[in-house]
Amino acid sequence: MIELRNLTKSYRTPHGRKVLFRDVSAVFPENRNIGILGRNGAGKSTLLRIMGGIDYPDAGRVITDKRISWPMGLSGGFQGSMTGRENCAFVCGIHGIWGSARRRVLDRVQDFAEIGDYFDAPVKSYSSGMRSRLAFGLSIAVDFDVYLVDEVMSVGDAHFKHKCEQVIAEKRKTSNFIIVAHAMPQLKKNCDVGIYVGDGGLKIFDTVEEAIALYQQGLPKPKQKQQNNQRPAAAANH
Amino acid sequence: MNSITQRSPWQIQRDVVHALLVREMKTRFGKWRLGYAWVLLEPAMHIMVLAFIFSFMGREFYPGIPTVLFMLGGIGPFLFFSHCFQKSLAAVESNRGLFNYRQLRPFDAVITRVLLEFSIYLFSMVALLAILAWFGVSATFNDFLLLVAVNLLYLGFCLGLSLALCVAGEKYPEAAKFGPMIVRPLYFMSGVFFSLEQIPEEYHPYLSWNPLLHVIELTREGLFASYHGMFANLPYLAFSSLAMLAFGLLVYRSQWRDLVRSR
Repeated sequence: MIELRNLTKSYRTPHGRKVLFRDVSAVFPENRNIGILGRNGAGKSTLLRIMGGIDYPDAGRVITDKRISWPMGLSGGFQGSMTGRENCAFVCGIHGIWGSARRRVLDRVQDFAEIGDYFDAPVKSYSSGMRSRLAFGLSIAVDFDVYLVDEVMSVGDAHFKHKCEQVIAEKRKTSNFIIVAHAMPQLKKNCDVGIYVGDGGLKIFDTVEEAIALYQQGLPKPKQKQQNNQRPAAAANH
Repeated sequence: MNSITQRSPWQIQRDVVHALLVREMKTRFGKWRLGYAWVLLEPAMHIMVLAFIFSFMGREFYPGIPTVLFMLGGIGPFLFFSHCFQKSLAAVESNRGLFNYRQLRPFDAVITRVLLEFSIYLFSMVALLAILAWFGVSATFNDFLLLVAVNLLYLGFCLGLSLALCVAGEKYPEAAKFGPMIVRPLYFMSGVFFSLEQIPEEYHPYLSWNPLLHVIELTREGLFASYHGMFANLPYLAFSSLAMLAFGLLVYRSQWRDLVRSR
């Protein structure tokens, strides 16, 4: 269960504070996969990070008894001068995985990332594709109740993408996901509950389809009047 | 499938600090030839260069104690302080990427750095004293318990200071520019190359407020039997260490969310 209690979050901008959402309360029951969608800059990633306990709201709390992952496929925590193996060992360490369990995780990462001998080369010598493979492989090699996914399922080549999708389908049997994405098919496939992050704050729907419908209201459809597009675009500039 | 077991807060803290220590060691010393030998060589070179410059000046700083040892007793503790000072000002910014892991907060980064600096300091002091003794430069050892007490208090002092500084360095990045300006004068005021006894007594009030001075005096007193830190004051050091530790913890506790919060 993940509960949001009176959550408020705002950002400082040159023109005063911009409130992303104010006094939001919600309870997400067990075994729900949550899809978050909204326009760029609406606060999707911030909401994801707040739910994951990485960022903090201005007021309110997130209450959960689940083990929540770091944002999947994140490579910002890698130290360039250390090897891929050392970086992964470090992440295992802070999650309390040592000894033989750690060796198993490292083997799985190496297997999944398919970067071969580069696993023992400094991360700064990696290409960006290899880096995200390593990061993605590491996030799925460590087990969590809830995984945070922030638009990373699109990294890598077609082969790797396919592999990621397979692995996520596999993981969905045992864990849940909180996903930020712009790809509607992906959200439809993976999520049960939808959160739309808009100008006025959060809107929480029992099905992801409703959230998608709201999100797509603002989109210019082909062969439709362009006026539909005016209002949200202007609002996003604030 | 391995799964993460539920860990107690203490276990999490221990795991995080352990992993960070390994990481810090790897990034700081792993990339050079000789590797971990630099743990010792880095402070040793610094101490030796300064010590030899002063010993070539030819005068004996303190009767009965070789100049190199006298310097070592001052420079060692001071280097620990100055490393803590500089590292902790940048602790939040340079570990920004790590705060994506929810169990890793600025506190862990600071405590790891202070602990690492502390063990480097102790290790290099012991090793250098041993090496110097091997070459016949030695003085009669005085008081082990005093050294333990002083160093524990000093560790608390530096930890509190570092916690406060990591907040200051993040909230007021301009403050980081003043760091060297504060450390440099302290270098000359903390008794690194003098003893308080050699200063005329009317100037003592201007110097003796400085806890670092007391640390250095007491360290020398603990190390060398012929050194009498007549004006060194252990209760004052204890008081200022505990006060600094409490201050650092309070400042950190009141501000820590702001350090990682996006604004």
